[in-house]
Amino acid sequence: MGYRDVAKIGIGGPVGSGKTALVKHLVPDLVDLGYEVGVIANDIMTQEDADVLRRAFAETVPEDLVRGVETGACPHTGIREDPSMNLAAIDEFTEWNPDLDVVIVESGGDNLAATFNPELADYFVFVISVAEGEDIPRKRGPGVTQADLLVVNKTDLAPYVDADLEVIDRDTREVRGGDPYVFTDCKSGQGIPTVREHIERVLFA
Amino acid sequence: MPTDSSAFLTALRLADSSLPVGSYTASYGIEQYANEGLLEEVSDLRAVVEAYLERVVGPCETVAVANAHAASADGDLDGVLAVDERLHAVTLPREFRESSTRAGGQFCDLLLAAADGEAVAPAYATAVEAGTTPGHYAVCFGVYTQAAGLECEVACLTQGYAFLVSLLGAAQRLGRFGHTDVQSVLESTLPVLEEVCARHVETPLGEMGAFAPFAEAMGMRHERATRRLFMS
Repeated sequence: MGYRDVAKIGIGGPVGSGKTALVKHLVPDLVDLGYEVGVIANDIMTQEDADVLRRAFAETVPEDLVRGVETGACPHTGIREDPSMNLAAIDEFTEWNPDLDVVIVESGGDNLAATFNPELADYFVFVISVAEGEDIPRKRGPGVTQADLLVVNKTDLAPYVDADLEVIDRDTREVRGGDPYVFTDCKSGQGIPTVREHIERVLFA
Repeated sequence: MPTDSSAFLTALRLADSSLPVGSYTASYGIEQYANEGLLEEVSDLRAVVEAYLERVVGPCETVAVANAHAASADGDLDGVLAVDERLHAVTLPREFRESSTRAGGQFCDLLLAAADGEAVAPAYATAVEAGTTPGHYAVCFGVYTQAAGLECEVACLTQGYAFLVSLLGAAQRLGRFGHTDVQSVLESTLPVLEEVCARHVETPLGEMGAFAPFAEAMGMRHERATRRLFMS
């Protein structure tokens, strides 16, 4: 068993867009569906933060399958140019748990330009936030245009930041060129089932 | 120290920071020096780097590369394994060992398992994969460079240079030093690297051993650091 034997979901996006909130929804959902899940977060800087994630998944994921990977201040390097330390962590996950089905690799870094090395992520989800500005989809960027699934999060905040969801929807449809995207509000859980369905359809069909 | 163009290009490839073995995640204690306010001036950085070269890179890493290179040339797998065992024993901080063996494991996957040469390179890679030997980076490096046709001293200089640049890159990313200062330190420490490699390229395995107690203490304290960007 090694990293090639397990499905890997890469979740990237700017700081504060809601990646961790999405992970906190997806992990228990996938566990409920019967999948064995591991979690790696690349933007964790301290062991204390890693413990916070372990506590969040205390009832759903074994402690050994939640890992923070320190990336020497280069999280984008850790998921793109040189994913070796993430792959080594996944290799260790599979040694400890040969029944592992999927690993979620979360990473910030490089704002809209962050993409995942295809060896590290079989499915790439990019998360942006309505609160970052109505024009975020129009700015394109490799994360927005190349992700397998684009998640537009924090739709509940649109009225408070003068963001028009219809404009965001129109621009997103145009820049995605037919590729899927989902509007979510991770606080209430709205849109999460659709994200999960996309992931299941591609990785576990 | 003659070397052919193919070996020269291999050396450049191995010293390039884009080689995907995770070297950017290791600071070998530099982060802890910074955390404790011991790396404020360029002179501090130069002193620390020179100490690493004199006390770790030379008497430990260079000796490992050179002895692994020699054992590989002799087709002596047991000799290579002995270098790995010794390096593991004399590398005291846990995080230093882990950074070295993680990078070594990636190096094996990337290059060593498919290396040319006699039986040693793939056999050693198999042992690393099986977990019967630690697989330290310097040992992998020595075995691979021998199979790839690099002269022993060129291999030692290449590995030492990559280590040096990695340390300086960590210091720069910790936000304390500008690019001009970092290049200045690099330029002034290259002669030190040359000197320590020349001094230790023929050091026998039995004399391998780092003496860098302060750096080792920094490495050990880093294990419990509350703020960490690096694995070591």
